[in-house]
Amino acid sequence: MNLANPTASFWACLAIPIVIFYILKIRLRRVPVSTVLFWRQIFEEKKPRSLWQRLRHLVSLLVQLAFLALLVGALVEPFFSWEIDTARRVVLVIDNSASMKATDVEPSRLARAKELGQRIIGGLRSRDQMAIIAAGTQPQVICGLTGHQRTLHEHLAAVPATDGPTRLAEAVALAGRLVNDDKAEQKHVQVIVLTDGCAKDVGSITEKDNVQVVAVGQRTDNVAITAFQARRSLLDPIGYEILAEVVNYSDEPVECRFEIDLNGDAIEVAPLKLSANEKWSKVLEKTSGGGGLLTARINREDALAADNRAVALLPHREFQPVTLVSASGDLFIEKVLEANALVRLNVIRKLPAGGDKPRRSQAGAVMVYHHQVPNPLPPGPALVIDPDVGCDLWEVGDKLQNPLVTKQDRDSPLMAHIRLDNVLMPEARKLTFTTAAGKPQILAAALTGEPLLVALERPQGKVLILTVNLDKGDLPLRTAFPILVTNTLGWFAGGRGELREALAAGAITEVTLPETIGSEYLLHGPDGQTRKLPPGVKRTTVGPLDQCGVWSIVADTPGATPIQEIACNLANRAESDLRPPEALPSLGEEPARAMGFAGRPIWFYLLAAAWLLAGLEWYLYQRRWIS
Amino acid sequence: MPLFDSDFLKKLEYLSLVSKRVFRGTLLAQRRTMQLGGGIEFSDHRDYTPGDDFRYLDWNLYARHEELLLKRFQEEEDLHVYLLLDCSRSMNFGSPSKFDFARQVTAALAYIALADLDRIAVAAFADDIVADFPLTRGKGRILALLSFLENLQPQGADTNLARVAGGFVHRNQRRGLAIVVSDLYDPNGFERGLDVLRHRRYEPHIVQIYDRREADPANMLGDLELYDIETTLGRKVTITEKNLRQYRKLFEAFQESVQRYGNQYGIGCTRTSTEIPFDQLILKMMRVAGAVR
Repeated sequence: MNLANPTASFWACLAIPIVIFYILKIRLRRVPVSTVLFWRQIFEEKKPRSLWQRLRHLVSLLVQLAFLALLVGALVEPFFSWEIDTARRVVLVIDNSASMKATDVEPSRLARAKELGQRIIGGLRSRDQMAIIAAGTQPQVICGLTGHQRTLHEHLAAVPATDGPTRLAEAVALAGRLVNDDKAEQKHVQVIVLTDGCAKDVGSITEKDNVQVVAVGQRTDNVAITAFQARRSLLDPIGYEILAEVVNYSDEPVECRFEIDLNGDAIEVAPLKLSANEKWSKVLEKTSGGGGLLTARINREDALAADNRAVALLPHREFQPVTLVSASGDLFIEKVLEANALVRLNVIRKLPAGGDKPRRSQAGAVMVYHHQVPNPLPPGPALVIDPDVGCDLWEVGDKLQNPLVTKQDRDSPLMAHIRLDNVLMPEARKLTFTTAAGKPQILAAALTGEPLLVALERPQGKVLILTVNLDKGDLPLRTAFPILVTNTLGWFAGGRGELREALAAGAITEVTLPETIGSEYLLHGPDGQTRKLPPGVKRTTVGPLDQCGVWSIVADTPGATPIQEIACNLANRAESDLRPPEALPSLGEEPARAMGFAGRPIWFYLLAAAWLLAGLEWYLYQRRWIS
Repeated sequence: MPLFDSDFLKKLEYLSLVSKRVFRGTLLAQRRTMQLGGGIEFSDHRDYTPGDDFRYLDWNLYARHEELLLKRFQEEEDLHVYLLLDCSRSMNFGSPSKFDFARQVTAALAYIALADLDRIAVAAFADDIVADFPLTRGKGRILALLSFLENLQPQGADTNLARVAGGFVHRNQRRGLAIVVSDLYDPNGFERGLDVLRHRRYEPHIVQIYDRREADPANMLGDLELYDIETTLGRKVTITEKNLRQYRKLFEAFQESVQRYGNQYGIGCTRTSTEIPFDQLILKMMRVAGAVR
């Protein structure tokens, strides 16, 4: 036997004053009484100086000395050398992924796993060490190797529940790196995985040596929203599309109702009858100028609530003022613009004079010039159709007869869903661009190379020039024309907010922050948690977003409104399928037997014996069996 | 603070008035003493006890019922009141001390008797009679009596009531009411002293005084030394809850034995704690006497 703290043996010197105090006669408290008649009757019933009376003082002294001996024994921390040799290093991997929130076992799978983990910690032997790793979202060392059980208990209790995916294989690999520094000690290394087995990689870890999987939970049915996305329509300015997918992770058919609302207003209700393991998927087309929060719900109570609700963010569409300048009043152009629900159209016959102020509602409007073009072209976005005259950006040349579109820029967003090669265009204008036009982007050109559709990106505003004469030819009658106008207006608007993808829980994404000097930004989670974003950067990475709901980025100032929002859904089929593999082992007697109360250090037993002795002494003293 | 201040005298006067109004003609000198053989008017019977004069046995009753009963007669004479005050050290216990309380009670009884034209004498005793206030009469002697009482000190060794009673009854004096004011902590037993008084045709009356801490000793657990203030001897003991329970039982049994003795011999017996004011005690005694008669 060895002593970890031999210097503490000096405390044994306390025996000297204890003995001295016992040798010295202790002065008794003197209590005056009027008579001892009654006391004499009491105490003369038994012999006052019996053998036990003489011995009880000695017994009391021996009890005190034994108490001191036990305390000193505990302080010197004795241990056996085999305790060092057989000390284990245990890594407790706890799965805190979304599926562990399932309530098929009370109160939840994660709580049950923590309970099992606490039992395992309680069974550690004195020289054992343990680390705790959380395997949800991103493997994370919650507590490094330590033998301090209270620390382990506290850290295990603090493992948070997340909506992220399970990363068991990575967590086990991390556990291996944590304890694998010495090959000689491999036989005393143990990795205990507490999981529900709802993960793709659970099969790979069960085959590893020194890895023991302990399953929590049971096979449970679940209906989940596995996909929910929304985007603005590419064709309809106020239209949007919703992609929804619901899966029945059950061996029985289920009936439920699928509901979607936009900012609390119901927009879709669909009764679902799903057979066993059936997947229901649908793309819904809706219209709304205003954006907002789309929320999908399944009205079915099941063990996992996180996948019964999904959210998506629909970008808001702004109204666009458009001024059409057309002397002849082209009905095709007017109707195409009026057909766009976002356009607030104003038609004028003459070019506004240079000193004319635009109407308040038309300030910043998109100018559509038909034949007439002011010289110079005013700042702001402009769509020029069949210009009769030149301006500072181009000069008008001869007319082109029957130009055939042989070259088309298919990559430009302006040309999305547009084909001009089969459109009959009898007449067009030949344009020569000046140096002020910069570098024109030719979106469509004739066989001779003459530009028919040109985009200019000048600092004062974007310009699109269509040189085709709409009065002749069938371009206004083709679908390409309204699509071209819609694309053009979208190009002028900047194309913002077309798609704000709803991310899967646990994802990491990049965000662009406004360039405001001295501003700091915060990331608010749906559960109220707040993380600070790095200051002074334009782009930064946020995540992992481990909670379902809407995350928002706000300036770190009171009352600030969100500058960006991110929708986050579970959207993980492995997590929603609450039916773990059949072969997954459950907690048996093995871990409890291997560990247990017998694994305490010697000083613990000595201390316990000291307290026991103190209790015994108190009991004996109360009954005056010892003094 | 003096033992007998002006408030005390006012209370005495009040008690005197109350005794005259409520118990007119029924107390002390104005009542007939219960003396055996002295009078001719039969009063009642009482149980025979060894030592009684056979001449007063009611043989007719014995013949009929085979019960030995003594005839009692009323004797019409002025009452002599003898107050036997315990001055032993055991009385110097408690808060207020039993001794002070006993002196107040003695003074009050004496005042009432003097106001009723009775003759009173006070004998202070411990192991023997240690001081005397001779037989006297009239309210004017009350101040001398108070002075006598005030000058008394707790003294002596063990209380010996038998010796005191023996010395008392051998004096050349008339029989009368003998009021014993004491805690009755006599190692030889209080009964012997009272028996002597009874046998000598005195009419004993017991006023037993105790302190609350004597009846229920608190904070006496553990190892301690009991110091007997009467004998000045110490005794090292270890007191447990069980011992305290035994003590309370013994004390209760002692109190009951005093009361039983009084009941057995038709002796007035008043047991009181020092927590009760002396004037309340006197009123209570008068009330009991009135009810009895």
